[in-house]
Parts: sequence; C-alpha cells; structure tokens
Amino acid sequence: MFNVRFAARMASPVRILTAVPICDGHDSAINTINLEFIRHGIEVVYLGFHRYAGDIVRAAIQEDVGAIGISSYNGGHIDFFAEVVRQLRRQGAGDIAVFGGGGGTITPDDAKIMQRQGVDQIFFAGTSLAAMADYVRKHYGKPRKKRPAKSRSDLVLARELTAIEDAYAGQGRLKQPKSQKASARNSKVIGFTGPGGAGKTTLIDELVLRFLQNEPQARIAILSHDPSVIGEGALLGDRATMINSQHDRVFMRSMATRGQAGGLSPATESCLTRLTKADFDYVIIETVGTGQEALPFRSKLIDQTVLVMNPDYGARLQLQKIVMLDVADIVVVNKTDLDRAKAALSEIEHRLTQNKRKQELVATVAKRHRDPGVDELYEMITASSKGDKK
Amino acid sequence: MSKLGAVVESVEKHEKFVLEQVKRARSDTKFGREMTERWNKIKGGIPIGRAPTGLPLPRLALPEIDEPGEIARYLFGDGLPGEFPYLNGAYREMYLEPLEEIEIGSYRKSPNGKNGPSAKSNGAKPKVIPQEEPTRLFSGLMLAEDTNKRFHFLSAHQRSKRLSTAFDGPTLYGIDSDAEGVMGKVGEGGVAVDTVEDMVRLYDGFEVGAPNFSASMTISGPAPIIMAMYIAAAKRRFGPKVVPNLRGTIQADIFKEVQAQNETIFPTEASLRFLCDMIEWTTEQMPRWYPVSISGYHIGEAGSTPVQQAAYTLSNGFAYAEMLAARGVPVDQFAPRLSFFLDCGLDVEYIALSRVSRKIWAIGMRDVFGASPRGQMFKLHTQTSGRSLIAAEFKNNLTRTAAELMLAYMNGTNSCHSNSADEPFTTPSEEWIRLAAHGQAILLEESGIFKHTMNMLSGSPGMKAVERAVEKAILEEFREIESLGGVMGAVENRYQRSQIQNAAHRYEQQIYDGTRPVVGLTRYRDPNEEPPEIELARTPRKRQQLQVNRLKRFKKTNAGKADKALRKLAAVVESGENTFPALLEAAEVCSLGQITGCLQELVGHFRPMV
Repeated sequence: MFNVRFAARMASPVRILTAVPICDGHDSAINTINLEFIRHGIEVVYLGFHRYAGDIVRAAIQEDVGAIGISSYNGGHIDFFAEVVRQLRRQGAGDIAVFGGGGGTITPDDAKIMQRQGVDQIFFAGTSLAAMADYVRKHYGKPRKKRPAKSRSDLVLARELTAIEDAYAGQGRLKQPKSQKASARNSKVIGFTGPGGAGKTTLIDELVLRFLQNEPQARIAILSHDPSVIGEGALLGDRATMINSQHDRVFMRSMATRGQAGGLSPATESCLTRLTKADFDYVIIETVGTGQEALPFRSKLIDQTVLVMNPDYGARLQLQKIVMLDVADIVVVNKTDLDRAKAALSEIEHRLTQNKRKQELVATVAKRHRDPGVDELYEMITASSKGDKK
Repeated sequence: MSKLGAVVESVEKHEKFVLEQVKRARSDTKFGREMTERWNKIKGGIPIGRAPTGLPLPRLALPEIDEPGEIARYLFGDGLPGEFPYLNGAYREMYLEPLEEIEIGSYRKSPNGKNGPSAKSNGAKPKVIPQEEPTRLFSGLMLAEDTNKRFHFLSAHQRSKRLSTAFDGPTLYGIDSDAEGVMGKVGEGGVAVDTVEDMVRLYDGFEVGAPNFSASMTISGPAPIIMAMYIAAAKRRFGPKVVPNLRGTIQADIFKEVQAQNETIFPTEASLRFLCDMIEWTTEQMPRWYPVSISGYHIGEAGSTPVQQAAYTLSNGFAYAEMLAARGVPVDQFAPRLSFFLDCGLDVEYIALSRVSRKIWAIGMRDVFGASPRGQMFKLHTQTSGRSLIAAEFKNNLTRTAAELMLAYMNGTNSCHSNSADEPFTTPSEEWIRLAAHGQAILLEESGIFKHTMNMLSGSPGMKAVERAVEKAILEEFREIESLGGVMGAVENRYQRSQIQNAAHRYEQQIYDGTRPVVGLTRYRDPNEEPPEIELARTPRKRQQLQVNRLKRFKKTNAGKADKALRKLAAVVESGENTFPALLEAAEVCSLGQITGCLQELVGHFRPMV
C-alpha cells in the first residue's frame, strides 16, 4: 500500500493546533509563538483568529493533534476554554490536551479554575518563548493513545491518517487496514496545483461553498499541503483562510511535506487511498505552491487535475516551460481583475490549443463573492462527475 | 501606480525646494534681507509670559539663528507651529496656559489656533478662554449603562466632555449578544451594543449636540452600522436637527484592520465601499464629525517598528484620499475630516515620529491632492503603548506611561490617552484609570514643561537627527509599497502583515536575548514578587443575560419593520448607490447582527489572512 523507499525522511514531529477565540483578533502573540514552535520542530496547524469553540474542536479532531493551544486576550477565557474542553470530551476526543495563555489577562486565580475544568496548562505573562516550546515538545509529543473502537468516524479516520504519516516517518508499523466495506459513494478526486500566490486555497474554499450549498448531502474531504522547513516544523495555515471549509460536512487534513520536494508529502498517496475509501463525494487535494517543472500528480486516483495560475506568470517564454499545462484537465487563471489578465488568458489559450486535447480554460476572481468564474469552474467539475464517476 | 509614488516625489521635491531657498537666501541679498526681516518680525511678535517663579519666558521658542540661509531652512523646512509643513505642530499654540499678561506685541491667536478675542482690550485684563483639555480616556465595560456611569465618573471634573468608547468583542465583529457561542464575551473588554436602544443608554445624560461634547468610537469592521446607530440614537433624544451638530470620531479604519488588528467582517473591497459611503454622507451632513481615524496604534501594538507604524498609517491615509478623490468627493470636503491615531512607545524613534508624519502628510496632501491648509493638517490622537506595559512588577507601568506621555506631547499630539498600569490584567479599574488621567494633569498642569513655551525642542540637534533618519526610512517603506502596486496591492501580497509579524517576533526575541532590557522582567527582577491584588472588571453572567433578554425583546417588537428595512438595504447594496441612508433607516429597527448578516449575505465574509 505504501512505498518504504520514502520512509524516514523526517521523524514524525509533535503536532498541535493553535487558534484565537471568537471575537478576538489579537494574533500578534500567537503569530510569534507559532514561529517559535516551528523553529523547535513542531508542526502547527493554525486555525487563525476569531474562531468558535466548535470550529476549533472539529479541526483538532480532524487534524489529530496532540494538543490545542489557545491565545486569548479579549476576556471571557474561563468560559471559552471550558467550552473547548467540554466539546472535546463530548465527542470522545478528551485525550487532546488544551493549553493556552493571555498575557496578564488570565490571572493565577483564573488559571486554577481553568485547570480544574480540564485545561492542562496556562502560560503566564513573562514566560519565555523557548520555555513554552520545550513544554509542548515534552508533553504533547507522546504517541497517540488508542481510542475506543466505537468512536465517531472522523476520529477513526483522523487517527488512521496519523498512523500512515507515522509509518512513513519510520515510527510504528502500519497495520494493513481491514478490508474496507466498499463505500456506498465513490469519491471523485480533484487535484489542485499551481505556483504559490495564485490563490489555490481561496479558490478551493469558494468551490467548497458551492458544493455545500448545491449538494445538501455531499461530504467533502480536503488534503492540503504546506512545506516543512527542513530540520524544523511546519506552519499549516490553510485552515485560517478557508472559512467555508470549517463545516461538519467537510473533513480537512493539513499535511506537511516532511522533507519531500514536489509539493506533496511522502504519505500523500496512502492518505489519499484511505480517503477515497471513506464516505466522501469529493476529495480535493491541494499541493504546495509549485515551480514550472513540477508534475505533482502521478497518482491514478486523481480523476481531474486543475492548474491554478496567476496572470503574472512572466513572459510567454515561461509559459512554454510549465509542464502542468500539458497535463491539466482544467486551467484556471485566477485574479483576472489584474491588469495583465486579458493578455495572459489569450496566451494560455494559444498554448493549450497546441496540445490538441480537450482542456478547459476558465477565468476567475476567487476573492470576489459570488464570482461567476468560480461558478463556471464548479459546473465543469460537477458536470463531468455526473457522467464518469468511477 | 498609486498616488504614493507621487507623494514620495513631492517630499523629495520639497526637500530640494528648501535647499534652493537656503542657497537663494545666501546669494540673493534682497531675498536674504526679506528672510531676516520676516524672522525679526516673528520674534518681535512673540508674547512673553512668566513662570510661577517669575522667570520671563517667550510663548514660542525659536532657534537662535540670524543667518538668512538658516532662517530659510527653518521657515520652509520645518515651518512655525501651525504653518506648512507643520513639522512643529498643527497649531500655533498648544497646551499653553491661557495668556494673562502681555509684554510684547499684540497677540491674536488663542490656544488651539482658533481666533480668540484680541489680547489688547483697553488695558483691561484679557478674557481668558479655557483651552479644551487634550486628555481622552478610552473606556467601555459591561453594558451600556455601566459604561455610561464610567463616562460620568471620568468627565465629572472636565469642562469639556470628551468620551472615548471601547466596544466588546461581539460588537467589534458585528455579532449580536444573543448569537450562539459568544456568551462569556458579552461586555468583556468593552461595552456591548446591539441596538439603537443601547446607544441611547450609552450616552444618557450627555448633551450630544453641545459644542463641549464629543464622542469617539473605536470600531472599524461594522463602523458604518454603529455610526448609523449613533445618529439614530441622537435623533431619538434630540430630534433630527441635532445631526449637523454632532461632533466626534469613529475609527472605521479598514486598512489597519486587514494589516494588523483583524476586526473586519466584510471582504476588503466591500468594507471600503461602505466606509466611503459613510464618509461621503457624513462629511456633507455632519461637518464636525471625523468619520475615519487612520490608525497606526494597532499596527504598533501588533508589533511593528515605529517607522513601519508611521509608514503604513500615512500610506493608508493617502490611499483613502485617493479613493475618495476618485469617487468625486471634493478634497476640501473630505481632507479636513481625516484624522490620525498613533501609538507612542519607548523606542527612540517616538521622539520625532509624529513630527515627521505631520510633515509628510502636509506635503502629500498639498502637492499631490491639492488640499487647502485645513486639509493638510495631520490631526493626531496618541495613545501610550499598551504593549510596553507588563504584568511583572506592574506598578512600573506608571513610569513607562509617564515617559511615553512626555514623548507624545513633545510631538505635539492634539489629544492623548494614557494607559492604566493595570491594563496587562484587565479593563482598567477606577483606581488605576484615575492615576492614568492624573498623570496627564501632572504633566500638563502641574509641571511647567509644556505650560509656558511652545516648541521647546524644535531644531535641537538630537531631534533633527532622529527626524532625518525617520523620514528617510518612511520614504523607503513608501517606495516598497508602491512597487507592490500601492496599498491595496501590498495588502493582497500580505506585505504589511508579514513585515509586522517579523518585527513582532524580533522584538520578543530581543527581550529574551537581552537586547531589549525590561525592568522587573529581565532586569532587576524581584524574585519574591507575589501576584498583585487587582480588581478585575468582569461582566457577571447575570448582566450578560440581561443584555440578551433586552435584545430579544427589541427583535420581537421590531420584527416586521426590520424585515422591510433590510430588504430596502439589500436593494440599495445591489444597486450600487450610497448605502448610508438605508443603513440609517435600518439602524432604527434592526440589531447590529441583523444588519451585518444581511450585508454578509450580499457581499460575503472577510477572508482572514494569516
């Protein structure tokens, strides 16, 4: 099921999720702390600021983190932390630890109450960044405990994905999963790639919004990738921008490349296989921002590949070198509100006609609400899926 | 290319112009003589006051120069206080004690640059017009009536009622107090405002249309909605005629939210549209209102360097000016209604930061936007740095704030908030907020530092050195932003955000590697320090529930009218017309959350940047 050649690129790092509570935009402290954590080799899934307790808990379960770190500066921390702990326990994920801080706003007396309510640790004002990182590495890096067999499907799936990632890191052995009951639905797998800054994440999130709105039963999985810094951790920040994807019908997993070049992780293929066997209508996979020679998707599991570009790709000469233009099923030129858009579209169209195969080209402004280009892309993806779902 | 590039050019051109004037004053005898005569006339017209010790002192300090070139350099390069390019001050006189005794010359300007009665009135003692206090204390806690009580406490001893309002988290994000998941946040860190009724309670007992009253509201994401509620509440209490008399400021600065503070709720373009709609409406209908306070404070608090703070704030200001001009709002309608808000910390740059900002703003507004003098003035509110205050041995915060206050007034700020020492822990308690207010009174009223002579440090070599270095660095930042396509382009590239985050990270590292000593934390720490006894301002659950119940009742009473108002608002949003009049109607019968929800349905949600 997986290839041992790729194993042991990097040891499996400590993995945590950080966030700032609802109605709180104070992200300066957490941004600094995140940077320090990744310097200490920790993988940080960052959910962003102004986040509901429910969103934090859902994300922590799906990402299968060892702990949740909450940075609160706007008051109401006793209620908020307690709510996060309560929801974790209710969902059978009480093994995920909760820690946090709020400068001087969380007093020692508050901390006592919070710890009684199940919070693991509060860092007070004046704690050094290094001390925090040490604590996290020491306490939240232990192998995940087993969860009761009857856990909710998200919990099971999330832990299986962790096992796959750990196996590639040379830790633990991957049990061949028991033969999965063939899922009632078959997932359609769509791969998104393209250079950094083209707006892939925003585009995917806008598509998710359309899936959710138009298909009230559909379940979607997203595998999103961010680079690991060699020898250090990774900041997995896509969730912070993907506001529509924080939804009970969306299962999202942020993966660090863990030392592999090319925009994906060593464990991607196996994780993808696992996801296609689960109960998802769509599985979306997003690569790290790639270069012109990248050809990240070699998997046969991918039904449709989408290349997302930005009108500022440089001169026409550069266009000839972008290998993905030959293989993508759909080419999206995003940010077409920029000046160069018209020229870019016609150049790319010309380039695609040379390929002499059926490739679609679509212009989008993903950041615009209700963008007709994104609607068109949604139609392209769903239209083809109706006929040729495997 | 945005107009920022043109601003850089205009500042450089102005520097060249100043050098030419210096040269000319030295080579052209007639011009040189004119300079000397003008200088002597200015000096001769300066009144002399007396310190309580009897020491005579000029009301305006000027450098001791008599060489025509140097005179030209001062007059054109720095300008007298109240004169272009306003380096030394937006007004001729600030913070000075009312003049009682005139020894030399006739003096016609009263404090804050407004024309007062002539000082010479038949030998009789001149009538003293008390100056408006520059002290503003930001407050907001629990429910509207609790904040109202705090407002009365703070302003009881002041001639002018200047209320500065902090809102709680749900309000800042346009969310109602009865929304799922916000219980615990209601009334925390600021006041909960859901409806026009809360707004009535908030300023109860104050005559909001009176000349000695002004309200400032620190809110940006839903600012146009809150502004509409403020107007609706004023109309309820005093009738429609009060509207043109309303005086105050609403922060409404979307750019800094996207760059640093993160309290924004609609996509940036939509937010900017609602903002410009409001500015266009208020600058026409409420000529005494400041509809946007272009804020560096939160950029500084998020961790920027002082230069980044000034550069991003000024460039944001120029970007707003560019947008309003592009809409066809006349520059002399909007430019005088733009005001600024900066942070003042302990870094050395702060000794001159606002001085340089005034100069760059004036040159840019005059030469690029064609603004008249009132539109060239950089009107500034300063707040001492919250970030510089720490929890360990927190009473030291009094000294930090005092030093920052000194810097702020040396920069000629027009108004100032001093932080309370207990701020690392809580919304300030009455004890510490009183000390903070008195800190300003001690500096301005008790000490003689600012009372007798304006322009004390102008032209000092140290000040000049910092001014030069800061100006150069700000222009460098402008060039960088311009190369990314101006403010909007830089925002989309998350340039400002990443610069601020890097600076914040560096700052933290410097604290722990010892580059930045912090007394009581990394130096001279008391190993036996006990956690302080601090009175915490927390909103009891019962109060929060009261707010929720009142809101539910309001929604029930107004249900039918609210639907109608929201449908009308939606139609206006879709049509592209100015949304503010429809917001005004909706604010009468809808809650903040209802209006936010309606708008988000139409224009989408803000997508955060990491």
